[in-house]
Amino acid sequence: MLTMLAKILKVLNSQVSPWQIGWAIALGLFVGILPFGLLTLLLVLLVCLLTVNLSTFIVTWGLTEGLMLLFAEPLEQLTWQYAQNDTLLRFLANNETAQLLHLHHTLTLGAFILGVVLAFPIAWCSKMLVLQYRSRIMSNVEKWKVTQMLKASKLFSLYEKLN
Amino acid sequence: MIRKSGWLVFIVFFAALLALVYLLAGPAIRVGMVYSLEKAVGAEVNINKVSLELAPLALRINDLQITDAAKPSHNSISFGHARAALEVWPALLGYYVIDELTVDGLQYGAQRSSIGDVYREPSQDGEKVDIAALLQVDLPDADELIARANLQTPAKAEALKQLALVEQQKLKTLQDKLPTKDVIAQYQADIKALTDSKITDAADLAKKVEQLSQLKDKLKTEQATLVEAKQLLTHSQSALANAVTELKDASKADYAKVQQLANLSDGGLAGISQILLGDLWAQRITQLQSLYVLAKPYLPEQGAASDTADAAPEAVLPNRVLPLPNPPYPNFWVRRANVNWLIGGGEATITLQDITAQHALIDRATQFTVDVKQLPQLSALNINGDFAIMDKMITNLNWTLEGLTLQATQFGKDDTALDLAAGMITSNGKLKLTDNQINQQASVVLNGGNFSSSGNKYLQQLASLLNKQQQIPLNIATTGLISQPDVSIRSSLDKVLGDALLGEAKQKIAAYQSELQAKLNTQLQSGLAGQQDWAALLTQQDGEVADISDNIENMLNAKLADVKDQAKDKLKDKLFNKLGGGE
Repeated sequence: MLTMLAKILKVLNSQVSPWQIGWAIALGLFVGILPFGLLTLLLVLLVCLLTVNLSTFIVTWGLTEGLMLLFAEPLEQLTWQYAQNDTLLRFLANNETAQLLHLHHTLTLGAFILGVVLAFPIAWCSKMLVLQYRSRIMSNVEKWKVTQMLKASKLFSLYEKLN
Repeated sequence: MIRKSGWLVFIVFFAALLALVYLLAGPAIRVGMVYSLEKAVGAEVNINKVSLELAPLALRINDLQITDAAKPSHNSISFGHARAALEVWPALLGYYVIDELTVDGLQYGAQRSSIGDVYREPSQDGEKVDIAALLQVDLPDADELIARANLQTPAKAEALKQLALVEQQKLKTLQDKLPTKDVIAQYQADIKALTDSKITDAADLAKKVEQLSQLKDKLKTEQATLVEAKQLLTHSQSALANAVTELKDASKADYAKVQQLANLSDGGLAGISQILLGDLWAQRITQLQSLYVLAKPYLPEQGAASDTADAAPEAVLPNRVLPLPNPPYPNFWVRRANVNWLIGGGEATITLQDITAQHALIDRATQFTVDVKQLPQLSALNINGDFAIMDKMITNLNWTLEGLTLQATQFGKDDTALDLAAGMITSNGKLKLTDNQINQQASVVLNGGNFSSSGNKYLQQLASLLNKQQQIPLNIATTGLISQPDVSIRSSLDKVLGDALLGEAKQKIAAYQSELQAKLNTQLQSGLAGQQDWAALLTQQDGEVADISDNIENMLNAKLADVKDQAKDKLKDKLFNKLGGGE
């Protein structure tokens, strides 16, 4: 938990571009809501190739995986209800690539659509929040005792060394 | 924007992932399987090893043991090893196509090396099917046999009795509205008083005519009530006549059935095997209902209008496959499966092909054969058949069973107990299940049965008769709905068995028959007698009211004529006086 907090603070306080953090959050969320499969690997490849912030991506992925324990079932049921569409089903039946990506599976399809729809708005919102944080809150957070304690901890110094 | 080391990072990630899967998949699957199985059965589950083979992709499970929660010193199921080879391309597309599944050393009820833990006591309602239970028959006594004969007359007689009561109640209610003799006499007196009285003037005449009309109206109302009563009576008579006809028919049919059962004319008794084993076989057949219930969600939506709630399969896993129009593979498909089952000191080989619930996609039925040979208590058993869910669920099954040695067993209990010390069963038959409709033919032969009984004299006689038979053959046919099968069991020994077993019942049936006839006659008389009295009474009353009504009409007309004459006379007198004729 401390490591996670330290990671987030370090990234937020660094010179990493807000867009890199924003897209890391959006893609981390996208990968997190998807059941593990080929789509996940493709998104991980995308994250590796683009200069999005890896630490933020991994933290968001982990958090979203945890959240999906709660939200997977409603999302699956919602998709089952709305995916009973002849055109969509015919498209999925005739498209081997879609099946290779497991888009004919309810949760995968629902998560994919949700991820695509939310990716840009989340990236943009996250970028804005990072900007707001850096301009308004960062200097105060630096003064918090917790932050100073974290920075003083051995774990943090070890983490910094590793990075 | 582009990370130069991106590919490298990804390759490292992917390689690490593959290594993790290869190294940890086996143990992870093992832990997952143990956890889910223990949760399902409520008892200790042991799996020695689960390993993943990459080329070809296959999963191997070694030494699986599932503790029997009811008997922890034994396993419910165990096997030496199982291997499932998964096809890669369908798996990548999300379909589970298993090319070959083999299970070796499958055992049911094998002893464990150490007692297994039990986490949840087994429920008592689970039914275990074993041969002894399958053959368990409670021999009925005479009263039960009569009950099983399902006679219709008592029910029909009761219905007639109830109907007669209801109809009588209706008539009684109407009776209260009908004019009594006193009322009719009063009407007559009123009319007489009116017609006998002198008419003084025109106003008096008008008044009396008015009074007579009112009386007539009242009489009309009474007549209408009578007509209604007559209609009700006619309706009631017709309903009762129908009930009587039904009762007579039921009695006739019952008499025929009882005659057939008791076969009084021939001195024998037919259909005893039907009575003895019919219900038992029907119960066994209804167990096939569970097969239909399992297959029903996969059947095309022919009954969608009536059963729309069943259209979507329940989400067992949190990721269902959407119902694509023509998917390339079934969601789950085992192309071949071989199971080696260690059973009763020998082994059975079970071979299955094309196991799936979506047969239309592969255009083939699931084929299965079971071969059992040279068990200590069974010479041979061969079952083969097919199972397919297309437009309908169709199951075909043929079996041949040779030399099943029966262990000492007891049919019935107390004074209807019949002991079988030894015997050997041979059977063959076929069964076709179309949705929930069954059609089954079977022949069962008991060879060298050794019976004994310490019960009543009829059973002792039966045991003695049975022991004289080299073979006891039974022909069993079942048709109709699985839930309500129509079972017919016949044996060439029916007459012999019937004479012996139903000796006592025959007497009771004969007594019952005469009692039935006597009761029927009494009920008919009591049910109908009141009706006839009623009809006579109503006809009489109707006649009386009609007579009074006619009388009123006549009296009214006569009175009017009389009044007219009186008026004429008065007019004449007045004219005569005015003209001075009287002076």
